[in-house]
Amino acid sequence: MQIEEGTVNELPCLKQLMMALPGENDKDPAGEKLAAILNQVPARKVPVSSFSRLWILGSLHAKVALGYLTCWLRSRFAEAGEKERLRNEAHLTAALQLLGTMGYMRGAVMKLGQLLASLPLVVPEEFARTLASLHFQAPPMHYSVVREVFLDEFGREPEELFASFERRAFAAASLGQVHRARLHSGEEVAVKVQYPDIARTIKSDLRNLRILLQPMCMTADWHNHLEKLADIEEMLMMETDYQQEARFGREIRNNFTSEDRIVVPRIYEEYSTRRVLTTEYLCGVHLDQFLAADPDQELRDHFTHLITAATMRLLYRSHWLLADPNPGNYIFMDDGRLGLIDFGCTRVITDEEWRLQREFERAVINRDEAGINRAIARACLYNDPEEMEPERLAVVGRGALWQMEPWKTEGLFDFGDEEFFRRGIDTFLDVMRRRYDRGKPLYLWTNRFVLGARGITFRLKGRCDFRKIYEQESDACL
Amino acid sequence: MRISAQAKQENRARILEKGAELFIAKGFEECTTRDIAVSSGLATGTLFNYFPSKETLAMTMVSEALNRGREDFRRRRTGEEGLDEDLFLFIASGLRRLRPLRPFIGPVLERSLSPFPRKTVCPEGEAARQEHLDAVHEILAMHGFTKAPDYVAVTMYWSLYLGILAFWAGDDSPNQQATQALMDYSIRMFVQVISGNGADRGEEHAD
Repeated sequence: MQIEEGTVNELPCLKQLMMALPGENDKDPAGEKLAAILNQVPARKVPVSSFSRLWILGSLHAKVALGYLTCWLRSRFAEAGEKERLRNEAHLTAALQLLGTMGYMRGAVMKLGQLLASLPLVVPEEFARTLASLHFQAPPMHYSVVREVFLDEFGREPEELFASFERRAFAAASLGQVHRARLHSGEEVAVKVQYPDIARTIKSDLRNLRILLQPMCMTADWHNHLEKLADIEEMLMMETDYQQEARFGREIRNNFTSEDRIVVPRIYEEYSTRRVLTTEYLCGVHLDQFLAADPDQELRDHFTHLITAATMRLLYRSHWLLADPNPGNYIFMDDGRLGLIDFGCTRVITDEEWRLQREFERAVINRDEAGINRAIARACLYNDPEEMEPERLAVVGRGALWQMEPWKTEGLFDFGDEEFFRRGIDTFLDVMRRRYDRGKPLYLWTNRFVLGARGITFRLKGRCDFRKIYEQESDACL
Repeated sequence: MRISAQAKQENRARILEKGAELFIAKGFEECTTRDIAVSSGLATGTLFNYFPSKETLAMTMVSEALNRGREDFRRRRTGEEGLDEDLFLFIASGLRRLRPLRPFIGPVLERSLSPFPRKTVCPEGEAARQEHLDAVHEILAMHGFTKAPDYVAVTMYWSLYLGILAFWAGDDSPNQQATQALMDYSIRMFVQVISGNGADRGEEHAD
């Protein structure tokens, strides 16, 4: 599928979806009409130039998210008995109406779109790219809104607090936008300002999402889905607290020295609150711009090394996973240093999760098949591999082993190898297509991280001695 | 006995101050003009020389806060704002000045600014409405809308504004952030409507 210029009208609209739902006098009990419309979703043109208005953005995301979620639920209708089917219809209709009436959509639907974009079942590549681009293309708050946020947070206007403050944001994210400013002491800073009331919007949208998922309550994995949703909510809520992000940022900064060539911006606490985060401004470019300059292989390898080293350092020393590997969070600096920014979506790995991770890692490195299967079974919430269907074990195992390939490889690992990347995507697709998604909530984030980060290093066409970095970092934490 | 203009002004200011304190402490409905007069050290009859009713007294407080909000808006405005930014800044400046009155403002606005037909119209409420709409017209004019907006646009704006006020009065989010989100959305919608298609920020479609 090609990305083409298009408009939101080319996607199935909410009304079409609503009309396609089985109703009282329905003549389409198997939901064929709905299926037909939803099947068109991946075939429709993707809008790449229509993000300029808030309401269009909101409705686009509602439609995309809605289309995918309904797609996910569709099979449940076919399997359900008549009574259950009717109940499911009622829930789904209500959920569609709720989603359709959400006005201020910068919160969860946008995040949800990004999460969906990272789920392989629903990841036609062009959609993933379009959704991912929202990190840069979200419509900005105008300056009058920013001023009100400052008056509420600091009791002062931005231009009173700072020596200078740029009215226009230079970067936008799903929960906020970033302005350049200068402190009275002269330092250049980046000031992230959160959209008003975003935390409540997210909570309310997730409540709607739970209603939308209600038809799945009779399925075996319902509790697992709820557990995952709770994990997502916890992470999103944490992301709305910039003071928490500042705490992560401070600790992450302490993990690196100037020799590492990895820069984590300093936090200016006196200019930061729960909704405003002021950090040192890092001068550099994002991935697209970096690649546009056609860097040589040495430079690509250099930054691949730094991205890997930064990730492994935090994983092995702090047991932290930067779960939002969005290209916008890496800054390629002119002097060859790598800037790391935005730590709102940092997943803290619990001791129990970490033990399992290490067991799996050891089994993979020692090529201990029984140990690998035991770890996979536990990660999928089975006591023993014997409890798993052989096919599930094999399919999930393929995905897990693909993730671990760099750990097993001595010497340079080529993340730009298309065969490797495509094989990984196909493996994930296979897992999701067969609905083998039962597992600990942590794997939502590790999968998202691995797919996102490998997407970045694949685009970089970069190589690094992964095994050596792993050994250095894991030895250092012993 | 005749009292000086200065004493009159002091009495008026004291009544407004004590009135606000009592409205916050007891609630608008529970508080009587007698309570306010006693608290202000005046006879009830004397209070009526200044404010003919409790509603007028409360609406005067609202009106004065909105006047200060308008002054803040003019002071804060830089001239670089688009129409949506200007309207947001204007409404937000007014709400910030109204904040101290928020605990009791709901019933006051309901009685004095309700758009539904009423037996008696509160003159202070009507004056506040007119002043507010004049300021909106002035803002529109600054963005090239030279003709006065027609009654449909005015009614639409006023409905949105009253909706924002009503929402704000009961908004329990920190610093009424939810109202800010609602304002942003409502104003963008209004600007979109009066501009024709919302593809710009108003200017291209101005008269």
